[in-house]
Amino acid sequence: MNDNTDITRTQSPDRSVASDGDSEDSEAPRMLLNPSIDIYETAEGLVLYADLPGVNSEGLDLQVQDNRLALFGRVEGTMGPTEMLHQEYQIGDYLRSFILSDEVNHEKISARLNNGVLRVELPRTARTEPRRIEISTE
Amino acid sequence: MAVFRWGQHWNPLKDLEREVDRLLQGMNLALQVRSPRRFPLINLHDDGECYVLTAEVPGVELADLEVTAANGVLTLKGLRKAPPEAREDSFRRQERFQGAWQRKLQLPDRIDEDGMKAEYALGILKVTLPKVAGTAARSIPVMEGPS
Repeated sequence: MNDNTDITRTQSPDRSVASDGDSEDSEAPRMLLNPSIDIYETAEGLVLYADLPGVNSEGLDLQVQDNRLALFGRVEGTMGPTEMLHQEYQIGDYLRSFILSDEVNHEKISARLNNGVLRVELPRTARTEPRRIEISTE
Repeated sequence: MAVFRWGQHWNPLKDLEREVDRLLQGMNLALQVRSPRRFPLINLHDDGECYVLTAEVPGVELADLEVTAANGVLTLKGLRKAPPEAREDSFRRQERFQGAWQRKLQLPDRIDEDGMKAEYALGILKVTLPKVAGTAARSIPVMEGPS
């Protein structure tokens, strides 16, 4: 089975504390969280939704490199010095990446962030016509 | 079951998994099996003057959000719409909650219910619950009673 052709193979960190690795940064290490996602097929290609509550467009970084789509969302504005009485969700930044299939047209990927949800459209490339290669003789 | 899926090789286990999920859903068990997480998740802080409740409700539109308080119970209610143009069998992965949701929370005593405020931004609902100003100890004069 060739996993590389499947966008649903995702790479994600465990819920773990990640330090920036920057010793000059005196900021406390931030939690890295794995956002919940949906992926579905449409006539045009694939659509990806990711829940990124607390992330605004400045804090969002979406990158395609080779066949990897990586999303990073930075959550701004923590609560300040308050006493936590009850906690169900973790506060941290979001990180998740996906292996894109070759059929996704990397140039035409588009994304929109609304109410803390990211929507990424991954259109399919048009099938290329078979091309005959002329054979020359010596 | 879709016979042909674009970009995805035939994967009998996946199909089986989906079928089992569908069966479980029919039995109303799947809610616990597939999404053990409640929706929405809530944090509660105390900033001194107020209790601040935050709930993660990304993707819920402001118009679909309802916050009510009555008889010491705070109710958060809303609807998270399914992604448009998505059919049930077109999902390759589905982790996000969808549908109607509701959570009820017992309010602590000593809350100024009239001063409660709610705001919504970036998928986070924030409800501010001001504490009733602490009443200073009141000195009760002691009278001399009839002897």
